[in-house]
Amino acid sequence: MLGRMEGPYDVMVVGGGPAGLAAAIGARDAGARRVLVIDREAEAGGILLQCIHSGFGLHYFKQELTGPEYAERFVTEALDHEIDILPNSYVSGIGLDSDGAKRVRILSDHYGLQTKTCRSVVLAMGCRERTRGAIRIPGTRPSGVLTAGLAQKFTNMMGYLPGRRVAILGSGDIGLIMARRLVLEGCEVVGVFELMPYSNGLTRNVVQCLDDFGIPLHLSTTVTEIMGQDRLRGIKVAPVGPGFKPDMSKEHAIDCDTLLLSIGLIPENEMSQSLGIQLDLTTRGPIVSSTLETSLPGVFACGNVLHVHDLVDFVTGEALRAGRHAGEYAMGIRRAQDNIRLVPGDNVRYCVPHSLSTGHEHQIFMRCKEPMKPCEIIIGDIMRKKLSFVVPAEMIMFKIKPDALDQFQGDTLRIDIRPLDR
Amino acid sequence: MSDLKNFTCIGCPIGCPLQLTHEGRDILEIEGFQCNRGAKYAKQEFEDPRRFMSTTVAIEGARWKRLPVKVTAPVPKDRVVAAAFEIHKLAVTAPVRLGDVLLKDLLGEKGVDVVATRTMDRI
Amino acid sequence: MGSEIYDVAIVGGGVIGCAIARELSRYDLKVVLLERNAEVGFGTTKTNSGIIHPGHDTPMSTLKGRLVVKGNRMFDQLQKELKFGFERIGAIYWIRDEEDMPRLEALMRLGIEKGVDGLEMWDQSRLSREEPNLSHDLIAALFAPSGGVINPYEFAFALIECAENNGVELRVDSPVTSIDHDAVADGGLLHVHTPGGTVDARYVVNAAGVYADVIAGMVGADDFRIVPRKGEEFMLDKRLHGVVRRLVFPLPTGVTKGTLIIPTYDGTIMVGPTAHDTGDREDVTTSVAGANEIFSYVTKLCPSIHQSDVITAFAGLRAVSSTGDFVIGPTKVKGFINVAGIQSPGLTSAPAIGEYVREILGDEGLRLDEKSDFLAEIAGPPRFAKALPREQEKMVEANPAFGRIVCRCELVTEAEIHDAIDHGARTVDGVKFRCRAGMGRCQGGFCTSRIINILSERLGIPPEAVTKRGGGSWIMTPMSDPSREVAGEGEV
Repeated sequence: MLGRMEGPYDVMVVGGGPAGLAAAIGARDAGARRVLVIDREAEAGGILLQCIHSGFGLHYFKQELTGPEYAERFVTEALDHEIDILPNSYVSGIGLDSDGAKRVRILSDHYGLQTKTCRSVVLAMGCRERTRGAIRIPGTRPSGVLTAGLAQKFTNMMGYLPGRRVAILGSGDIGLIMARRLVLEGCEVVGVFELMPYSNGLTRNVVQCLDDFGIPLHLSTTVTEIMGQDRLRGIKVAPVGPGFKPDMSKEHAIDCDTLLLSIGLIPENEMSQSLGIQLDLTTRGPIVSSTLETSLPGVFACGNVLHVHDLVDFVTGEALRAGRHAGEYAMGIRRAQDNIRLVPGDNVRYCVPHSLSTGHEHQIFMRCKEPMKPCEIIIGDIMRKKLSFVVPAEMIMFKIKPDALDQFQGDTLRIDIRPLDR
Repeated sequence: MSDLKNFTCIGCPIGCPLQLTHEGRDILEIEGFQCNRGAKYAKQEFEDPRRFMSTTVAIEGARWKRLPVKVTAPVPKDRVVAAAFEIHKLAVTAPVRLGDVLLKDLLGEKGVDVVATRTMDRI
Repeated sequence: MGSEIYDVAIVGGGVIGCAIARELSRYDLKVVLLERNAEVGFGTTKTNSGIIHPGHDTPMSTLKGRLVVKGNRMFDQLQKELKFGFERIGAIYWIRDEEDMPRLEALMRLGIEKGVDGLEMWDQSRLSREEPNLSHDLIAALFAPSGGVINPYEFAFALIECAENNGVELRVDSPVTSIDHDAVADGGLLHVHTPGGTVDARYVVNAAGVYADVIAGMVGADDFRIVPRKGEEFMLDKRLHGVVRRLVFPLPTGVTKGTLIIPTYDGTIMVGPTAHDTGDREDVTTSVAGANEIFSYVTKLCPSIHQSDVITAFAGLRAVSSTGDFVIGPTKVKGFINVAGIQSPGLTSAPAIGEYVREILGDEGLRLDEKSDFLAEIAGPPRFAKALPREQEKMVEANPAFGRIVCRCELVTEAEIHDAIDHGARTVDGVKFRCRAGMGRCQGGFCTSRIINILSERLGIPPEAVTKRGGGSWIMTPMSDPSREVAGEGEV
């Protein structure tokens, strides 16, 4: 039920975006009876509520939906599954009872500060955006410099524009989407500036968000200065050379009153860290077993808090699994601990989960370090998968069937991506 | 006299660069694709490029000031900005249900309706 | 022209102006403080490093030297009354070279002479035990336990709140454009002009920071110049929390206290500041050169610290006087008092300066009748994040707005946003500096929209009129109104 919190619960889910909602549903499907989703916003749905463009659900629903449509489907399904959803609330801490029960401290205006117990927890807090300080752009500190996601909130939910003459730093999808969005709202988008020699976003977005509107994409370029006293009045940009060092001899100024930063996402693991959960320094998310359980027993993680995804469909798949395992855990069902370490090899930036166990099916998510086409994913000596291309911006997902590991000897499975000669 | 048009296929992330040779409105040849999605895309983009679009309209009486909407069929690419402009003239009042049709035949394009992409209750 | 005559008009609402205001509010006086920005403390004060210096390193021959130790000692009482964050974490002054030892010893002697408490000389082994993350090639350090840290803007807000509680009038968005004075020596008034009106006052206290010489020049009392000296500082990621426990200073040079490692009151590590004179009273830009300068130094001093740890950078301007010391005193214009050139250790000296200026005004003929009902204390802002769970429960029960989180990173609740506005916040930065919302890792990504909405509601202004810090710092702009524009078709 919406707005209700009773308890005790079997499973509590921290975060009511697509990951949290799917995890809750997964937990119910596994047989958990009482499931609570806690979300800090006024409505569940997470970031999808402001992602009004389409491109969601192609895999999961075989339809192309907008963010709000995708979110609404899951909120409806969660409520149909008799899951309690408490919005406007915040988990301020999680403690452990001696019998393993979790004591979750929840702050909400409706219920005040309460502690509720449950048997397992799913972390689904999503991620935050990288800010100016992270890349240390020198200059003044006027208003008008903000992340693309905050600008998206202003535009799509509050009904205000972040400015009128807009430059965008970072060619990730959020920046590209906002470029188009702002053009359709009558703004002038002067250009997208990208540090790398290739766009970080989907080609489809470069074509439909930039090319369609004649917005230039300046690759291998960075912002070298921010100007303006009270409000942004311009930026300076310069091409970058080897080592991404800006060539200051080619620095030039661009008039604009708004600079959107689309420079990366960071999983939101402040609480995870304070609980002592071990993090993977590459993903910046928890280290998880094949059941997506973190280093804290009975605490699971999924979605962007575990690693930054690009397709919400994959988030849903991952979260349904995490929720199912959390539900099983709550009912006392345990698996044997993982006995195989999964390690990233050549051209693999990371893989999740971090370990596997024999006798089960696994869903592996990974990212490559550099584009490669065509190529082959080599999973130890048990499996090979040919792909026509891999790019860092596109997460790779594949399944390992239970019997694939039957013959595996050893405790470490290494995954490599190697070029395939035509 | 033949002309050349370049497209980047968006069917999958490879993004094959496509070249379409044409004489007037007749397509002579399409090159550069690695699967037939590319050929189809180039043809569509040449003959009748269209785009799905989404935006927001003003809504009164709901939790937020904007209601997200989309078109039910793609709009000709060169009318996208005009379409947005037209959609922005709409103003609705809560409650609205996901799928409610707010405008039919946008810009006179038959079958291109504007629908709400979420439910917004009256607050 | 205003019909009322003020006893004192203070020009400048930085920490110095606010300290003077509070001191004067103990007496039966009609006082007004004129601040040019949208809120107090928005000039140099909010960029200040927040250090309460032990005071051993400024000679007694200077006014600075005489006021700093006195000021330092006043902070415990002030904290009790005004509830701002303050902790004596201690300070060390390190050396690497044996040849610097005599200077360090001289510093210790000077400190003892001045009455600085608790000074100790630490050898290498003691230093590496106490601060194990500092470079192992440091050979000795002078330890001064009376060194401390505060949030300077918190201090300014607390001072002005107390002053206002005791009758001081605050006018913000009030830059002084000119001052004229009656020719008559006795009973002559000073007329202080601002865009919002003219203030007639018997005495004017010029605490205008980097503009103090400009203000003094308006009456011809500028026998000093202010050379703004820019300092860039860098706030570092919380992962470094605890990497040093005390303020870390090198030996001072003539120009600057040096590049420091500062564990701020809130626990974040800050490094800097640089020190470069600039001719521009508005130049608060940060630079690659500044960052490189600081980090090439700091990483050698404390190898755990790396430039990639920066979460935000900012710069401020010190109001350095050409005389090399504070310029505090009456001038050839009767009633016009300069309080200029207050740079390091200005913050530490602030309470002592407040008293000193009151004495000067008394000497200049201002009648000082102490109030019997002076309210020395303020309640201080509620800090949900710092309360124990029991207290937190009570806070939420009493006010459900404590149950609504606005800033997720710093755990700041809606009730605290309202409290900040109740106490004068009118801008997003004003809210930020009063209750920390927006200062955390996401740097306002989550809370900004909420803060804008609350400010809009409370101040009765549309959301697009809410600014970052006043003036032209608008944040959002309304969407175009299609009914008033002409549609265009054609190729995009």
